[in-house]
Amino acid sequence: MATLSAAWMYQDRGLGPVDYSDDFITRKPNFNRFQTSFLGSFPTGILQTRFRLNNLLRRTSSVRRIKCEKNDELPEYVSVERPPYYSYFDSASGQLEPASGARASIPGEEYWPEGTASRVRAARAPEPTGESTGSPSYGKHPGSRRKKYKASVRARSSEVSVESSASLEPEVSEDATEDPKESSSEYVVYETESKAEGETEYELDKKLGRPHPFIDPKVRKPIEEPLSSEELWWNWRKSDKEQWSRWQRRRPDVETVFLKAMAETGQIKLYGEHPTLTETALYRARRHLFKEERLKAEQERLERIGPIAYYSEWVKAWKRDTSREAIQKHYEETGEDENTQLIEMFCHQTDREYRIMMGNDIRIKRDPLAMRLQEDQIKQIWGGDPVYPTVNYIQDPDEVIDYRGPDFHEPTPNMLDYLKEHGKVISREELEEILAKEKTEEVEMTDMDEAMAQAVDIGEKDEEGEDSDLDADADDEEEKITRNWSVLKSTPQLQKSKAKPKKDGPMSLEEAVDDSENLTDFLLDFDEED
Amino acid sequence: MAISVPLHQPTYSFFSNPQEQWKWCAKPSYSFSNNSQNNIRPIKASVETPPFPLFQNPKLEETPADGLEPADPDFYKIGYVRSMRAYGVEFKEGPDGFGVFASKDIEPRRRARLVMQIPLELMLTIRQKLPWMFFPDIVPLGHPIFDIINSTDPETDWDLRLACLLLYAFDQDDNFWQLYGDFLPNADECTSLLLATEEDLMELQDPNLASTMREQQKRAREFWEKNWHSGVPLKIKRLAHDPERFIWAVSIAQSRCINMQVRIGALVQDANMLIPYADMLNHSFQPNCFFHWRFKDRMLEVMVNAGQHVRRGEEMTVNYMHGQMNDMLMQRYGFSSPVNPWNVIQFSGDARIHLDSFLSVFNISGLPEEYYHNSKISSDEESFIDGAVIAAARTLPTWSDGDVPLVPSIERKAVKELQEECRQMLAEFPTTSKQDQKMLDSMKEPRRTLEAAIKYRLHRKLFIDKVTKALDIYQDRILF
Repeated sequence: MATLSAAWMYQDRGLGPVDYSDDFITRKPNFNRFQTSFLGSFPTGILQTRFRLNNLLRRTSSVRRIKCEKNDELPEYVSVERPPYYSYFDSASGQLEPASGARASIPGEEYWPEGTASRVRAARAPEPTGESTGSPSYGKHPGSRRKKYKASVRARSSEVSVESSASLEPEVSEDATEDPKESSSEYVVYETESKAEGETEYELDKKLGRPHPFIDPKVRKPIEEPLSSEELWWNWRKSDKEQWSRWQRRRPDVETVFLKAMAETGQIKLYGEHPTLTETALYRARRHLFKEERLKAEQERLERIGPIAYYSEWVKAWKRDTSREAIQKHYEETGEDENTQLIEMFCHQTDREYRIMMGNDIRIKRDPLAMRLQEDQIKQIWGGDPVYPTVNYIQDPDEVIDYRGPDFHEPTPNMLDYLKEHGKVISREELEEILAKEKTEEVEMTDMDEAMAQAVDIGEKDEEGEDSDLDADADDEEEKITRNWSVLKSTPQLQKSKAKPKKDGPMSLEEAVDDSENLTDFLLDFDEED
Repeated sequence: MAISVPLHQPTYSFFSNPQEQWKWCAKPSYSFSNNSQNNIRPIKASVETPPFPLFQNPKLEETPADGLEPADPDFYKIGYVRSMRAYGVEFKEGPDGFGVFASKDIEPRRRARLVMQIPLELMLTIRQKLPWMFFPDIVPLGHPIFDIINSTDPETDWDLRLACLLLYAFDQDDNFWQLYGDFLPNADECTSLLLATEEDLMELQDPNLASTMREQQKRAREFWEKNWHSGVPLKIKRLAHDPERFIWAVSIAQSRCINMQVRIGALVQDANMLIPYADMLNHSFQPNCFFHWRFKDRMLEVMVNAGQHVRRGEEMTVNYMHGQMNDMLMQRYGFSSPVNPWNVIQFSGDARIHLDSFLSVFNISGLPEEYYHNSKISSDEESFIDGAVIAAARTLPTWSDGDVPLVPSIERKAVKELQEECRQMLAEFPTTSKQDQKMLDSMKEPRRTLEAAIKYRLHRKLFIDKVTKALDIYQDRILF
């Protein structure tokens, strides 16, 4: 109630000289309603009152703030339009719609749960109007309100006395008001004759329980253009993300791929880009029928024009007249009947023509569509090379290709070359060379202790030894590295560790050239070289 | 209970021509149909052109000639407020009591149409067997009325229990029956023979029925004396200060009780129910409506038969008891009917008539349990054939032996014998039917029970009369 009083005070402040009398009048019942709704303590009532209060507040404030440009006096009361409207006629559907939060439409009676119809009908039944003259006796005098009892109290007459005529009027009006309101109930018929005329045969069927279509054919509206798959709300929309796996792709089927190809070449028209089951079935049926039709036509043609004329299509060399009359004439002339002439004709046929006619040669394509199918489409249906399948395997473009070499399929490779390649075996000359280098060092090495020899020393002697060793190693390594020179080149660390201990002093050019494998040795980063 | 026996033609005739019966085509509402589209309340024309030229003076008040007026508006209102509904019917009151009439045409549909629904809270219901359950449970736990009810015999005393319950309901504050009781027939109007005096019982001219009724009266009075003796607490005493009130309650209970098998909760039980608005329906042997218990929300529905075409102003009727003679109807409900198709005459002797030819003469078809007049076969309008002829077909001694043809002479002899018997029966009555009719017409303000008794015997004689006439016609039309 505090809010109520605040509202009223607010209004009082704002009124001033302006006469809001009619506003008061209209609001007074509001106020009463507020009170009753508060007392009744319905939550909806409170909400409604608050809503109305807000309306009032807004209204009053808006009224106060009306200012004209010309800065006139406040004019006489400008009737501001009543704020809407708890419901309006929706412009889209033409139906009554609530202003706040339209709900979904209420389904019709067919969809109501059981018992709802009777409850609704009970709620819709009109209230009895009419005032009674008697009053209840609460069990004291049973039968006291019956008419005859009353009438017998005052001398009964054959016609109803005038006193009860007053009670008749409202009663009759009660019946009167009942009837028009109940005219909306389903089984009310005032004049059976007129309704019978206006009844279509559909309604008659429906009423009498004879078989009838679901919808009155006169009332029925034709089915509109179906919505596209984007518009259909139950359509599975494709997700924006790409497929995260190729297993999610569409599985190819002979029919669908064929139909897709046919649609691409323009032979048929599909509804979307992929043929649906219905379309697939439809076109399959059509193809079958066309084939049958064609076969029938061919047979009929054969019967019509005769075998010689028919098969002369595949015998290019036969130039003679093949009509029935010509054959007949020939027969009469030479006595060769049809079969003999046919054999004669076939003698002029070439092999290729024969194979085309019989259609047994797989090298000769027979299906015109299969001729026109693209490679990937063919691969989708029949698969690619079974040995080297390329379509069905997923290929990673970043993958390092596992190339085994041209003689990969050799069952046993050449072991010596293999070992040589991998540096497991060196040739005799190389070995001798290495051994020759190693001899000098061994003499020097015997001077020292074994323990000392084991120690890693960066002495001169050791350096030379290391140099020769490193040389030999470097040679081998260089040999090895030359195979994978890309690896060598891309990892500069390797190069550096080899290159640095080699320098005893400034090398001569020839030595450098001898040392280097090729000119690329000199392509090192010159920064790092001091 | 109200029987509306219209003045001349019985309601129960097979060819009910409403034009003949209702001289005044109920409501002057052809102005309705014009205004129904506009939803304007139709202006009550003070002068209507009557459909029949019989009435030269148009009446200012809309009173039908047979005295049917709409009931007190409170009658429906007290029920409406308590969620009882009546769809398309209205309650009218005539000189013989209340009746339910259709206020609009009802098309013949394939499913039964709901006409009235009465919730359980308005009823007074007792289960027939032990343990007694009351729906609605108005009897408080320690109330002595429960002990009284408990003391009754579960098999036979259902009416006494209901009467106690009714009286208790009258006493209970804000019980619906306090309001509804004002519309029940009081002791003067009730035609039940429990309230009949000796003189009325004498007028019955049926000693069996009279003795049965005397027994019933004695039983009720004894019950009252036993349970309402002077020592009872005031709670009980004020329910029925005098035995007449109690006997009236018993008569109401007997005549207005509806015994149905209802399912309440999980229990299917036979219940004796006093149902407020449904007991205003009158009886007919070809009823319009039937009762149906809607278990879901515990309502009794009064539904129009499927395929029944109901015209405006037609009476809604129910079959009270199936297959009982007039005396049972009289004993229980206090009315009788001349066209009861289950009337029985005890014929003695061996005279038999051929059943098949009797049926074919009157175009009666169906099984013996359900004879009906086949109007499709008979082309001409026969107002002679009604329930009485059906009853005749049942009660006359007949023989039927496959294809064996009847022998005309034997048939005629048999017919003559039967007619002779009927005449004898009629002669045994102290009065003739004409005398009875005259007595009825001459009585100014007869007591209801007296009137009912006289009507009972009149109907009996009319029935025998009809049987005789039927035999005559049979004799004429028999095919040889």
